[in-house]
Amino acid sequence: MAPLKQVVSSEGLFDMLREAMKELPVIAPAERKDQPGFHHFARLQQAEDFVPDYVTTTLPPKKAFFQPSETLFTFTTDQPPALELVSDTEHFVLAGVHPCDLAGLDALDLAYSQPPAEVRWPADRGLATVVGIDCMPDDYCFCSSVGTCLTRQGCDLFLTKVDRGYLAEVYTPAGDTMLAKVRTWEPTEADIRDAEQWRERKVERMTAHLEADPAEIADLLEAGGLAHLWKETAERCYSCGSCNTTCPACFCFDMHDEFDLSLKTGIRRRTWDSCQLLEFALVAGRHNFRQEREQRVRHRWHRKFLYLYRRLGRAYCTGCGRCSRACTADINLVDVTNALIAHARKAADHA
Amino acid sequence: MPDRLVRAPYPMTKVFYRPALAQVLRVDQLTQSENLLALRMGTGEPLNHEPGQFVQVSLFGYGEAPISICSSPKGKEGFEICVREVGTVSGAIHDLEPGDWIGIRGPYGRGFPVVELEGKDVLIVAGGIGMAPLRSLVGHIRDNRRRYGRIIVVYGAKNPAAILFKNDLKVWFEDEGIELYVTVDSPDESWTGRSGVVTSIIRDLDLGSSASMNAVVVGPPVMYRFVAMELFRHGLTEDRIIFSLERRFKCGIGKCGHCQVNDLYVCRDGPVFRYSELLGRSEAVEVWAPEEQ
Repeated sequence: MAPLKQVVSSEGLFDMLREAMKELPVIAPAERKDQPGFHHFARLQQAEDFVPDYVTTTLPPKKAFFQPSETLFTFTTDQPPALELVSDTEHFVLAGVHPCDLAGLDALDLAYSQPPAEVRWPADRGLATVVGIDCMPDDYCFCSSVGTCLTRQGCDLFLTKVDRGYLAEVYTPAGDTMLAKVRTWEPTEADIRDAEQWRERKVERMTAHLEADPAEIADLLEAGGLAHLWKETAERCYSCGSCNTTCPACFCFDMHDEFDLSLKTGIRRRTWDSCQLLEFALVAGRHNFRQEREQRVRHRWHRKFLYLYRRLGRAYCTGCGRCSRACTADINLVDVTNALIAHARKAADHA
Repeated sequence: MPDRLVRAPYPMTKVFYRPALAQVLRVDQLTQSENLLALRMGTGEPLNHEPGQFVQVSLFGYGEAPISICSSPKGKEGFEICVREVGTVSGAIHDLEPGDWIGIRGPYGRGFPVVELEGKDVLIVAGGIGMAPLRSLVGHIRDNRRRYGRIIVVYGAKNPAAILFKNDLKVWFEDEGIELYVTVDSPDESWTGRSGVVTSIIRDLDLGSSASMNAVVVGPPVMYRFVAMELFRHGLTEDRIIFSLERRFKCGIGKCGHCQVNDLYVCRDGPVFRYSELLGRSEAVEVWAPEEQ
């Protein structure tokens, strides 16, 4: 069913956030004080800090649900020890989420809910009202190649820029409640057309493209014969893990304990982890199942475009371009993937 | 195209990553570096594990480590784990004493296919600490001996001092239902048994023309390929060879990514796999090992 649509003025959007902030924390893209010109999802101090036309953020909004480092539970050294779960209980609004990042949240919803399901992720997801907003691409964006351009899953309200403000699509009662706090108008045909044109322009302006769809990429990775390309990419890679830590669809983690200074209590912490780091696949006896950098590079592509594609039915890449923007060696995911595609097609032609 | 796996029938368990508490009942020193810990859940409930499954063991302040369960599901109070002193966490768990409390998550993973193996002959091959999970399988078979055909156990240890579960081995040796072969790589003067690697024992076994023979193999990564070669010589096929893989699981439930072998999560899809499921998965047993210092 098509969502209910209403138009809100540009000022009305800020009013809506202002109203929400009276009741709940609002996390939304704001300019980084430490790095002007860059944006991050942060708790707004004032509604004016929200930047509706931001291009991207350094870290994806998954950090609102799974912080880069978070406490799972506390323990004591008593016998028996006392364990206490630490979990967020405060409701909040996550606003200004682009379609690619909605797809990232949806991908993690799927991954974390596979049995045996973990409780933390869905519990934290349930605390948020999510407001999506449509965007314009930069040179790194390629959402039109992975089918995440129009994602609306998991959002309560979605906004698209139109001439007289924003066209708001209402997906849930929570989204409706937020929007009801401000003045809205019935959309005219011009508003609907504006929003459609925005979406068309977004695709037209996309300069980065994968030369094959995710199904073909999965097939060609499975077919293999790409060793020299993994090697070439690995020769440039520093194994820093920036690609993983900025990825909205990566969900690996590590866990470790920390004692309090008193040595009487402590916490178990979980932190984001990266399969590109040397220690990631280390096992007992110092055996490392992906000791070579090219094995780790290959693993990243295989996991995103083959393993999870086959297992969960979707590529674990949202086309956001963060990994390429963040890469310390300027390795571009689109360029590498297109080189793989070109090589595989050439090999198929010769076969 | 990889064949689809038959997944363990997971109940819709919901995991908080907060362990349940368990208490150490007994500690038996097995070797210089390995202890056998008998544990009981704080609730008094049985663990309800399958042979081949593992638990995530927490020692608070040190961390959590995956350890396979080495007791048969039936019988005795609680359950047992065999802990080798290797890292910070396992070293601390190894040093626990009766009465100490620890955390347990699980049991997790897909264990040995004990139901599918019923009515069949089973060759059990253990290398080193691989004997620990296999002890739960041998225990289960002995508890249900009439359901299984011929049972052969081949166990290889580095040297006589490294042999685990000596008390169990004596019992199995007396058990007419089990053909037991124990070998050591490096014998000392006191050793009167066999010496050499497990493959040399397997080579000399008379497996007859048993089409129902299945092999279950657990040991260090380097062992799998050589054992498989010998088993092929006896006419076993990949679907009748069962391995259990070891990785450093962090979550134990297929989320954290650390145990991934190509597309498989060892913790969730395994740790027990048929060889046929691992074919084409280059990260399963081909391991880079550091050169000896």
